[in-house]
Amino acid sequence: MTHEIDLEAVVGRFYTSLYRFALSLTKNEAEAGDLTQQTFFILAQRSHQIRDSSKVKCWLFTTLRREFLRALRVQSSHPHVEFRPEIHDGPSISPDALRALDAKAVIDALHQIEPTYRTAVELFYLSELSYKEIAQTLEIPIGTVMSRLSRGKEQLKAILAAAISENSDKIIPLKRDEEAAH
Amino acid sequence: MKKPRTEITNESAKFVLNAYRPNGADAQDPVFRVALEQAARDPELAAWFKEQRSFDSLIADKLAEIQPPANLYSAILAGIANRSPIRRFNLRPLLALAAVLILSGAILLPFYLESLSTSKSIEQYQRANLTMLSSSPAPSLDLVTADFSRTQEYLAEMKAPCIPFLPGSLLDLPTAGCKSLHWKGQEFSLTCFRLPSGELLHVFVIDEKAFRSINVGDKFREMDGWHVKCQRRAGMLLMFVSRASMAEIKQFI
Repeated sequence: MTHEIDLEAVVGRFYTSLYRFALSLTKNEAEAGDLTQQTFFILAQRSHQIRDSSKVKCWLFTTLRREFLRALRVQSSHPHVEFRPEIHDGPSISPDALRALDAKAVIDALHQIEPTYRTAVELFYLSELSYKEIAQTLEIPIGTVMSRLSRGKEQLKAILAAAISENSDKIIPLKRDEEAAH
Repeated sequence: MKKPRTEITNESAKFVLNAYRPNGADAQDPVFRVALEQAARDPELAAWFKEQRSFDSLIADKLAEIQPPANLYSAILAGIANRSPIRRFNLRPLLALAAVLILSGAILLPFYLESLSTSKSIEQYQRANLTMLSSSPAPSLDLVTADFSRTQEYLAEMKAPCIPFLPGSLLDLPTAGCKSLHWKGQEFSLTCFRLPSGELLHVFVIDEKAFRSINVGDKFREMDGWHVKCQRRAGMLLMFVSRASMAEIKQFI
């Protein structure tokens, strides 16, 4: 059944989660804002193509990702992120240590996940998409989504554990004048 | 007694439960039923699942702290408000038209090739705009207002192209006004923003179909004493022009 899309309501409902997803892709607030605006602009132009208004959520995330990839192709600057193989074991992390991290540190950790798994994990956490919606958005089978979530989350845990451990291991040297005073 | 067929290994259950959303929205999804039942029976799996859900919730909560810029919502609405959707066409008349065009194409091709040599180029368009901006006295604006939304409403009323999106924090700037223009029979628009230094930042918008081919760099360049940058977005060609310092321009674009 075809429904007329209420654009303003759609913007109000999805722009925050779409912006978060854009930020995770671009790592840049201004570019994330542009990408979010661009996605809604395309929706305004092509709203008649969405025959089922319940699909608009997946459509928005798919379109935003496509626009991001298109811009990347234009710039020819695919960022290459290497994952450190020694941290694949998925250690347990204390909730308190995790709470102490800020959102930026979590975004940075998401960026270190291997690109193959990263987008599925980002959609899972940033947009709370179900595994079916992630499959639709990324145009991959459901089994592949589960596999990517499983591997990606394992990597995320390892990266966060390494970041937490790195911070706690930092030794802050005393300043020379403070040393002299003692 | 044989184990029921629905029982799965803990590793398989973990694989499936990794896709279980922390907000519990998947509680009724039958895909998770067997794995959830297994977690209810097996203490080791239950402990893993509890820890996993706690981790997922913490990550989701951390990421939910990210808030979009305060002006993004109004910028999106301003961008889409004046844009009418592309209309759907009945395919049959289009196919008939295509057939006519193909047949007539062979006849018209020589004329078309001749016309290419005189077609519009971006360079000409850019030069024309810079000449207009440099003219003395300076061209007057159709509408003088500091309100960006008003400029776009006016341009929409005049059937001139609106700015489809605003890069960076341009929306934080007040506008000086806007103007509806024509170039070689093509409507285009000018919206001017007032930079903190007092210099203006001019944004021209034209439908990119006005040009046969578009090849623009993504950086500012110097043209006749102006800093100029073109950018393609959503079927439009945006041309940013200013005499302000590059350091100031880069704060906003």
